[in-house]
Amino acid sequence: MNTAPDNFVQSLQESGLGGDWEWQHGSWWRTPETMDVRATAARLISLGARFVAITSTERPDHEIRLDYQWDLNGQLLSFITATAEKRIASITDLCPAADWVERETHEYFAIDYTGRETTRSLMTRDGDRIGINLHKEAVK
Amino acid sequence: MSYSIPIGPYHPALEEPYKLELECDGEIVSDAVMHLGFNFRGIEYLAERRNYLQGITLVERVCGICSNVHSLSYCQAVEQLTGIEPPERALYIRVVLSELERLHSHFLWSGTAAKLIGFKTVFMACFTLREKVMDVLSAISGNRVNYGMNCIGGVNRDIADPLAVLSILDELESAVTRTILPIFLNDRAVESRCKGIGILTKEQAIAMGAVGPLARASGISQDIRVAAPYCAYDRFEFNVPVETSGDVRARLIVHGLEMVESCRILRQALRALPAGPVHTPTPAGARYKVPTGTAISRAEAPRGEVLYQISSNGTDIPERVRVRTPTFMNMATVRLALLGQQLSDSPLIQASCDPCYSCTDR
Repeated sequence: MNTAPDNFVQSLQESGLGGDWEWQHGSWWRTPETMDVRATAARLISLGARFVAITSTERPDHEIRLDYQWDLNGQLLSFITATAEKRIASITDLCPAADWVERETHEYFAIDYTGRETTRSLMTRDGDRIGINLHKEAVK
Repeated sequence: MSYSIPIGPYHPALEEPYKLELECDGEIVSDAVMHLGFNFRGIEYLAERRNYLQGITLVERVCGICSNVHSLSYCQAVEQLTGIEPPERALYIRVVLSELERLHSHFLWSGTAAKLIGFKTVFMACFTLREKVMDVLSAISGNRVNYGMNCIGGVNRDIADPLAVLSILDELESAVTRTILPIFLNDRAVESRCKGIGILTKEQAIAMGAVGPLARASGISQDIRVAAPYCAYDRFEFNVPVETSGDVRARLIVHGLEMVESCRILRQALRALPAGPVHTPTPAGARYKVPTGTAISRAEAPRGEVLYQISSNGTDIPERVRVRTPTFMNMATVRLALLGQQLSDSPLIQASCDPCYSCTDR
């Protein structure tokens, strides 16, 4: 259910979050589907947004789509980015809430978060293979 | 003298397996490192290899306490993708199941907290009350743990006699308001064990993305039932209890008051249950295809916001099923709540964030 006030999209754009926004299936989605994850995180934190999740999806070409979700006053904002190299900047130093999510995504999808001091195992044990949620053909 | 205390992953004191490495200076906790994943079942991976109907049964097994909220969130996401709208009666029944689930979860937590405080009489009282809720859930659904109530387009079973549930609510609410809450609020032993213990400040809660009763005990007022209403929650009047001290006592109070509010919601939902069908017919057969797209569903589980993101590639099997549980966000705050605390308080502090490792590990 979309419960946003009428001027919500305008307020997002005026808040420096740029792009076009569309409400679809439970979230506000920003287009175009590229973003500077660190600049966006810093801006959202300054607006009082709450970090919610990172959702990784392996596309058929094995590129990884990363959806960053934030809650701004009850409205769910989704930012899409993608990486073919499985490498993206960490936001944990800006947003401690992202620490466990980044570590989990590293273990499940072999994403390398740059800028982290360490990426200790969270769900798996030290020495376990990473990328355990990748499709079988990708990890042969 | 500094020393390390490894606890778990398999330990007689732990309800579920996890591992905690405590660093202590004398009796004071100076650091805590947590290891998870001992309940990992690969549910997201498995859900991407089953059709949408099989997925409902699978995700209901993410958690043995808040099983309903997982199938609910999953079905809500698929309904958004397919455009299938559940009938009004189904939305009300979903609220009834969700609040009964919150009640029994909060009774369980309150009892567990009481046991760790050393108040075993309250533990027994809470579990007796929880059993009454379980009986109601069993009478409605035929099951005690995995209710099998949610389906795409509504619910699988009707509530035959909604007014019969009302009488039990009076008994539950009376027990909470006259027995449990006064003990949590006024008993000196409870106060000495909980007041000022395991504090999570509002700033820390925001930084760590804490959700649910844990966040609300630290002054964050958000509740998804109000902030982003789903099912029929926008039809009911209820309060969102918030405390600001961020300690174990605040968590006790928030849980207790939330039980009272759940009774209030249940009364409204049961009395106003609209007539009509309980599900909207869906395409025949289990292997119907879901339109391409991505949908996100959020719900307020007993422990806080749960999020399901489902992506469809137009086939009968989801491309991606993402499950972000409340404990996944909340458990990371335990380290902050433990720092500088007495080692002997650490079991209560850990338990006070109402962790569910089964949910967290998936």
